[in-house]
Amino acid sequence: MEGAFSYAPAIAAFPLAAFVVALTFGKWMPRKGAIAGIAATAGSLLFSLWMLAAVASGEVYHETLYEWTAGEAAGEVGDGIEFTFGILIDPLSALMLVIVSLVAFLVHIFSLGYMNAEGETGLPRYYAGLGLFTFSMLAFVYADNLLMAFMFFELVGLCSYLLIGFWFRTRSAPSAAKKAFLVTRFGDYFFLIGVVAIAATFGTVAFAGDDSFVAAAETAIADGDTLFGFDAQTWVTITGLLVLGGVLGKSAQFPFHTWLPDAMEGPTTVSALIHAATMVAAGVYLVARMFGYYALSPTALAIIAFVGGFTALFAATMGVVKDDIKQVLAYSTISQYGYMMLGLGVGGYVAGVFHLMNHAFFKALLFLGAGAVIILMHHEQDMWKMGGLKEKAPVTYYTFLAGALALAGIIPFSGFWSKDEILYDALIVGLNEPVIMAAYAMGLVAVFFTGFYTFRMVFLTFHGEPRSEAAEDPHPVGWAVKVPLLTLGVLALVAGVANLAPVAKILGVDIVFLEHWLDGEYGAVEGLTYSAYGELLAYETGVIGSEQLTILVAAGLSLLLAFSGAGLAWKLYNVPEPVAHKERLGSARRTIENNYYQDEYQVWLARGFTLPLSRAADRFDQTVIDGSVNGISTASLFGSSWVKRLQTGIVTNYAALIVAGFIALLVFLGVYGGWF
Amino acid sequence: MMIEALIAVALIGALVTFMAPNRIAGKLAFAISLVPAALSIWMFTAFDGSGNALLDGTLAFESHLEWIQLGEYSISWFVGVDGISLPLVVLTTILTSLAIMSSWTPIDDRESQFYGLILFIEANLIGVFTALDFFLWFIFWEAVLIPMYLLIGIWGGPRRKYAAIKFFVYTNVASLVMFGAFIALIFGLGDGVTSFALPEIANAMLNGGPEGLFGLEGTTLASVVFIAMFLGFAVKVPVVPFHTWLPDAHVQAPTPASVLLAGVLLKMGTYALLRFNFTMFPDQVEAYAVPIAAIAVISVIYGAMLALAQTDLKRIVAYSSVSSMGYVILGLVAYTQFGVGGATFQMVSHGLISGLMFMAVGVIYNATHTRLVTDMSGMADRMPVAVGILVAGAFGYMGLPLMSGFAAEYFIFFGAFGADFPYAPLFTSLAMFGIVIVAGYLLFALQRAVFGPYELETDYEVSRAPLHDIAPMFVLLGLIIALGVAPDLIFQMITDAVDPILSGGDL
Repeated sequence: MEGAFSYAPAIAAFPLAAFVVALTFGKWMPRKGAIAGIAATAGSLLFSLWMLAAVASGEVYHETLYEWTAGEAAGEVGDGIEFTFGILIDPLSALMLVIVSLVAFLVHIFSLGYMNAEGETGLPRYYAGLGLFTFSMLAFVYADNLLMAFMFFELVGLCSYLLIGFWFRTRSAPSAAKKAFLVTRFGDYFFLIGVVAIAATFGTVAFAGDDSFVAAAETAIADGDTLFGFDAQTWVTITGLLVLGGVLGKSAQFPFHTWLPDAMEGPTTVSALIHAATMVAAGVYLVARMFGYYALSPTALAIIAFVGGFTALFAATMGVVKDDIKQVLAYSTISQYGYMMLGLGVGGYVAGVFHLMNHAFFKALLFLGAGAVIILMHHEQDMWKMGGLKEKAPVTYYTFLAGALALAGIIPFSGFWSKDEILYDALIVGLNEPVIMAAYAMGLVAVFFTGFYTFRMVFLTFHGEPRSEAAEDPHPVGWAVKVPLLTLGVLALVAGVANLAPVAKILGVDIVFLEHWLDGEYGAVEGLTYSAYGELLAYETGVIGSEQLTILVAAGLSLLLAFSGAGLAWKLYNVPEPVAHKERLGSARRTIENNYYQDEYQVWLARGFTLPLSRAADRFDQTVIDGSVNGISTASLFGSSWVKRLQTGIVTNYAALIVAGFIALLVFLGVYGGWF
Repeated sequence: MMIEALIAVALIGALVTFMAPNRIAGKLAFAISLVPAALSIWMFTAFDGSGNALLDGTLAFESHLEWIQLGEYSISWFVGVDGISLPLVVLTTILTSLAIMSSWTPIDDRESQFYGLILFIEANLIGVFTALDFFLWFIFWEAVLIPMYLLIGIWGGPRRKYAAIKFFVYTNVASLVMFGAFIALIFGLGDGVTSFALPEIANAMLNGGPEGLFGLEGTTLASVVFIAMFLGFAVKVPVVPFHTWLPDAHVQAPTPASVLLAGVLLKMGTYALLRFNFTMFPDQVEAYAVPIAAIAVISVIYGAMLALAQTDLKRIVAYSSVSSMGYVILGLVAYTQFGVGGATFQMVSHGLISGLMFMAVGVIYNATHTRLVTDMSGMADRMPVAVGILVAGAFGYMGLPLMSGFAAEYFIFFGAFGADFPYAPLFTSLAMFGIVIVAGYLLFALQRAVFGPYELETDYEVSRAPLHDIAPMFVLLGLIIALGVAPDLIFQMITDAVDPILSGGDL
């Protein structure tokens, strides 16, 4: 399989080519560029599967392809430094390549039914955007160094800006696009400082190998070095947290989550891509990619875990009061990425990656399902105007239900297995670490809310009686919509088989394929395996009674909560004529409906603080600074206006002055020259 | 004789254009300007210099002729290029050609004089970047001002006279300060120096420095001269608080003049800082690093904040130049290979990107006759290609990776973060916040002016821009992406010339 890897660049190059083709020739192509995009992502998917097979056969690939630039490193090391583009294909990136290209491929197909069939204008721009998006994400996924990862991370941000703002003739879409870019840029500011700091500290930005910054950091900590005035451990924590800024922005974690719900202004297909496989996934993937670095810093990990647990709960509570089907899904995304952060933060590398994969499938499914609902409903997104779609659109209903069961974490759907594994990992660490215990508790409570909002959405949309004309007479959907839904529906059901950890431990059978995969039992790059990370982690784990009992307690608790949440939704909303029941929230209602005023304070920071400050600076500049410049010129003009009075323009005056001057000169020369 | 050929073609071209009929002047000037552009690109490919022009490097395309003997000092026609100046020469010639093409639509009055002056500026700009004799250099330096003064004063907007005079007087006074200081330095260097040749002066500075003058100690004199020259160049760059001439000049100047002003004229200031202050005065650079870094950070943040407050698209781009030039100062003061190299890279990159932005804004202005973001909305609907390029340029300005702006900023940040001066990481991190504000004001402007439903407050019928308005922007965009993907097209050449500076001439 050695030869397979020489085709690795093509995985990203295909969608890049599709971008160029759709942008330049899309107007004249049948389907306005869709075919190019479908062909390109199909190619990427096939090649990614090929890479997966190659890794399964024991090979890995780590190759520098292109030197961007090189020079002398300043700072702590002072040797040469190279900034390169290279490809790293190991179990993690091979898996992610397949996920990304699969979701991108299905989104392209779905777009035929969602965008083309609906007579959209600007389709070449749309498909060009999707192509560039897929390209950036795939290149980010197999980047072999931090700078390259940052560069494509930023390009992912650009693409989300372009696609969220696709309907630029509205007022809201450009505003949402700007917000998405700006909030994530704020996170990326910290990320870029982190990149610069890591490069300046260790003289390398490579993820893997003996000369990686992870290895250099490990050595520095072992040697007790002082870096930039801090001890090595602290400096690793600081730089790790700086990089984390970018992660929190892109993965929409608290307090940078505010852009994501607004991003629903983009086409639903774009939301599917952003939430499942590209933009938002990029943040968490980066933590997994440089997990060895975070493993060196217990503080950074604890912060990741706590922010994750908090975000999981925080976003889930906001999801329960939303009326727009896409808004519910948006908050569920924030919450689910919180779980992944929690998993990674407690050292559950396999669990976090497992949930990243499962979530990619079921969230793509749910968004595409929501897209199908929106087609059915003639572009209505308010769930209170839906109802009764179950019988009229069975394919959409049953696939959506599969996604919902996975999201809510109901056994045996995929989401249950990965979420359970995260919570289990958090619990056993939490038994010794109070902070982690708090994070675990928040994650656990969030399970209840997840079950509730998910099934509230399902019941309101599909059950009961139709509550509008559109719901009574839905628009039919075609094969381009159904095929992606069915594919993802199957995956949402069975993807959990990849890692049945609790079953494995209780029954003692070896069915944790993903763990073996990530542990490099096939192919792996040294230092980038689950067990290598395990050696770096400083966490102690505990059990309640025995390991089996702990597993049962953890799984039982989360299942119980998921069922209660779903059950409550059943009771309240699975009725012929449901009502909102929002008054039951009492005084909390306004706070939750306003999203805890998170948007308000961030908008205030931009509009109420920064903008007036800039206007004040402008006034200061006009009056004080420019005023002094003009003041000096006025003073000199004023002075010269006195001097110029000598210039009367009257010839006799000049003649008199010349004569007077001549006489004065004569007298002067006479006195000093000795004429007299 | 290549450099002479460049200057001569531009000068003679200027005269020919002056005398040509108005109706063909634009096309003629463009055709003439292609000659220096082509020649300089050839020079770029045939470049065989190495090291720094002032510090015993091997010059490319050198010529050195004795010209005037002034007392004990000889003045000579001494030109040549190294890895720092050649990219700037190429930038100048390419940008001139593109600026001429972009003038075809907006300039409809006294065309032959307009295009003649553009070519005259080009000749002097090439002179500034190639002259290695102080006297010769100063002649070119000052001669740039006159055509720019006329371009703003004749073809400018409603307040063109005010803006033109302010530009001229402000930068000219600054030049006077700088000139006086440098002459004092030459006298202070005493018998060691017998000409105005910059390499000789640089050598003398690095091997002992000035003996003293007017009762000042040698080191005091060096410090005074350093500060005076810094102030002189600071106006040209411009750095805060000497920047207020810039927005006035830009807003009043016709688009092609803005392109050259932002694209090349500002780089004269940073180029001179690099050639004089940061090459000849390493001790002073070290001593004053913290205040200079503070000025850089203030320029970046304050300039960006001012841009945020504007509603005129041209003012936004003008203030953002102040911010971008702050990065150049930060890179210079870092005094590391990536810092100084990145600063030079940023000069080229910002020349391309700001040129692109001014052209794009100009194309929109040609169609709408307004530049206020409050007067228009949804221009993307009517001018998709021009707006597409404006958006691309804006992201270039924001430092989007794979465009030259990112490479430049990354080099500067990396070079400055690990620099030796106190609190370098802190200063760098503060300056980096500029990348957030720049995204804020550009995206805000885009949201209001080019997206949203189509509305226009003026009575003009908006149509798509003609090809000759669009083509120059595509060329610039292509160069921006090329340098972003492959910065080594010029970066290795630059660092080769930067290294001798950092090692104090010993290599």
